[in-house]
Amino acid sequence: MAAVKQTVEHVASLEKYKHGFVSDIEQDFAPKGLNADIVRFISAKKNEPEWMLAWRLDAFERWLAMDEPDWAKVNFPRIDYQDSYYYAAPKEKVGPKSLDEVDPDLLEVYKKLGIPLREQEVLAGVEGAPRYAVDAVFDSVSVVTTFKKELAQVGVIFCSMSEAIREHPELVKQYLGSVVPVSDNYFACLNAAVFSDGSFVYVPPGVRCPMELSTYFRINAENSGQFERTLIIADKGSYVSYLEGCTAPMRDENQLHAAVVELVTMDDAEIKYSTVQNWYPGDPETGKGGIYNFVTKRADCRGDRSKVSWTQVETGSSITWKYPSCILRGNESSGEFYSIAITNGRQQADTGTKMIHLGANTRSRIISKGISAGRSSNTYRGLVSAHPKAKGARNFTQCDSLLIGKHCAAHTVPYIEARNGQSKFEHEATTTRLSEDQLFYAMQRGLSQEEAVQLLVNGFVKDVLQELPMEFAVEAQKLVAISLEGSVG
Amino acid sequence: MSVASAIKTRDAAELPGKRDEDWRWTDLRGLIRQVPAPSAALDVASLPAGPFDALADELLVVANGQGAAHIGVEPGETKVVALRIVSRGDGSHAARVSVDVEVAGNLTILESYEGEGAYLGQTGLILSLAKDAVVERIILAADDAEGVTVSQAQVDLAPGASFAQTVLTGGARRQRLETIVRHPGGHADLRLDGVYLLADKRHADLTTSVTHAAVDGTTQQLTKGVVRDQARAVFQGKIIVAEGADRTDARMGHHALILSDRAEVDAKPELEIYADDVSCAHGNTVGALDEDALFYARQRGMPEAVARALLTEAFIGEVIDRIDHEGARDVVRAWAAERLGA
Repeated sequence: MAAVKQTVEHVASLEKYKHGFVSDIEQDFAPKGLNADIVRFISAKKNEPEWMLAWRLDAFERWLAMDEPDWAKVNFPRIDYQDSYYYAAPKEKVGPKSLDEVDPDLLEVYKKLGIPLREQEVLAGVEGAPRYAVDAVFDSVSVVTTFKKELAQVGVIFCSMSEAIREHPELVKQYLGSVVPVSDNYFACLNAAVFSDGSFVYVPPGVRCPMELSTYFRINAENSGQFERTLIIADKGSYVSYLEGCTAPMRDENQLHAAVVELVTMDDAEIKYSTVQNWYPGDPETGKGGIYNFVTKRADCRGDRSKVSWTQVETGSSITWKYPSCILRGNESSGEFYSIAITNGRQQADTGTKMIHLGANTRSRIISKGISAGRSSNTYRGLVSAHPKAKGARNFTQCDSLLIGKHCAAHTVPYIEARNGQSKFEHEATTTRLSEDQLFYAMQRGLSQEEAVQLLVNGFVKDVLQELPMEFAVEAQKLVAISLEGSVG
Repeated sequence: MSVASAIKTRDAAELPGKRDEDWRWTDLRGLIRQVPAPSAALDVASLPAGPFDALADELLVVANGQGAAHIGVEPGETKVVALRIVSRGDGSHAARVSVDVEVAGNLTILESYEGEGAYLGQTGLILSLAKDAVVERIILAADDAEGVTVSQAQVDLAPGASFAQTVLTGGARRQRLETIVRHPGGHADLRLDGVYLLADKRHADLTTSVTHAAVDGTTQQLTKGVVRDQARAVFQGKIIVAEGADRTDARMGHHALILSDRAEVDAKPELEIYADDVSCAHGNTVGALDEDALFYARQRGMPEAVARALLTEAFIGEVIDRIDHEGARDVVRAWAAERLGA
């Protein structure tokens, strides 16, 4: 019960969106709008080599020829791509050597964010502090990268994408765009042209990454799209767990966020990728001002017996449109997708996964929990497919939707394509509302309605919460409660 | 933009194709480069008997699109009608059939698709059920391996009405059997079942869409199928519960067996829910025969082929058992047994 009590206190203290503040740190902007010169500007700002600029310009050319997709069950005013900034970097903060050198304002932002990094502790030399490696993306440029040394000892490369382009061009050239091709989709293509920064991880063969890697994304500059590009490569027999947490300040204009995440696993390697997304969901009555989150996340299980596990808790953004996917190419490779998507107010989420079985005896598991409240809409959209060569492929999918209130919507759109006689696919989905009997029971035991709802909802999403790394699970449980604040009664 | 208008205008560009979301697995535009010339009229008297002739009070034949049919049932009347949709030759044709069942009328439609040739046929049916009307529709689709058939039924239920449907098909070159139901709630009752048994290079697409518009409606759906060789089955089931359609209870199940390495099953069981006090669920499984059950049967001395046929028949039998009309149930059971080689 302690967690519930804590949650309730938290909710009570919450008068407005927790992360709704704008910090004033000098920004270095590219001019508004998008054209080949902006792409050149970004590339030049980041001191990129010629091949990278060529790659970006090629992507931009292709993007111009593409049409914006409209098949998702989401509604939003058309985006004016010329009315946005495509590059914003904090000034004067190029390459600080330690946290002490970092602008105190920036540290203040981290503090307000309540980043549970225990970073300060670790940096202050507190004994026994847990080990995390943090690559904080403050708007577009990685400002602080810690623990590099310890990671370097075991050979793990963990740095910003711009640094990787400079320091490890051979790896970037080999893998960038190999999972999500440049012209894969409209938003991925846009990202390829204008991506600002992101994280790069390479785990060498046989290495179990000694700590959880984590990036805190934060959209900070008014009206600036954020286009991260993340690339994680787990070489043969390696393991890495990566945490991605997101918050954003409150503002009035919609912000476009079109990230691309590419994961590659070789033989016997495993990547665990966890996301907590809590961006500004927009005004609860009008939906105005929230983040547009159009993300392409895909993993390529290239090696035999490799594994990728996606876990996501999506509570923020006015529009979430993402499908973390697994291409199960290696024999006996496996993919997992655990998702909690919560929508309230006017939020819209269209999310799910794709499990593409290409290798023999590949396995996948999908657990999706959607909760809709207020006037929101929540869609699970997923594809499970088995190629004729994917003999012995196995999939289990469970999608549950919970509705809270009369005006919300929950949709389930699974696609199943089975192309051989030796695979086995199971899918089940249910849609129900919060049980009155259970609510009554909990309230009869002395819980307030709000507490009872939180208790039941936490039970509903437990299957997914327990897949999260410990630190994230606690945070996520609180987020679930906060997101549903005021949705009952 | 529809199959009927493509046949009328003979413009193949009007055919739906894989770029249309609802037809992504039943691509007609990619298959038919040119809409065939209109089919010649048929001499109905020369046709052999249909599968349900002996069971019906009334017989209606739509041959190569000729003979626009209407079935009417008076208030309180009970009748059994055999509706034969016959296609012959390599032409194209479209037909419309309307069915009106008045208050408390009781109708059993025994519908058969009988095809020979490389035709393109479309049938549009409009069924309207008044208060307390009871209709059971059983469809046996025996099309030609070269034929292309599209059957599109639109069903309007009044409160208190009951509609039950069972589709049984052996597929065609391309075949789409579509049922769209407007469900008013108000204790109206709906059952939409289906069975497909596909072999060779045959294709069948069972598509349903049910919209629950108001409170207290129930829908039960169970579709099962078996594909072998290079056959391809498509199941698309959509249940929409509109805002305010509380106490809706909708259940959908689709289960398929793939008995060869080159057959394919594509499924999309969809729920679109805008009301909170509902109970909706769907289940979908695709796989091979249960090896344990097979082992058990063989251990009891059953030859493998017999064991497989028996297990497959039992798998399909669950749907056939739900048919109310006894005579029709026997006819389709025999049809299924013949296809399964039991």
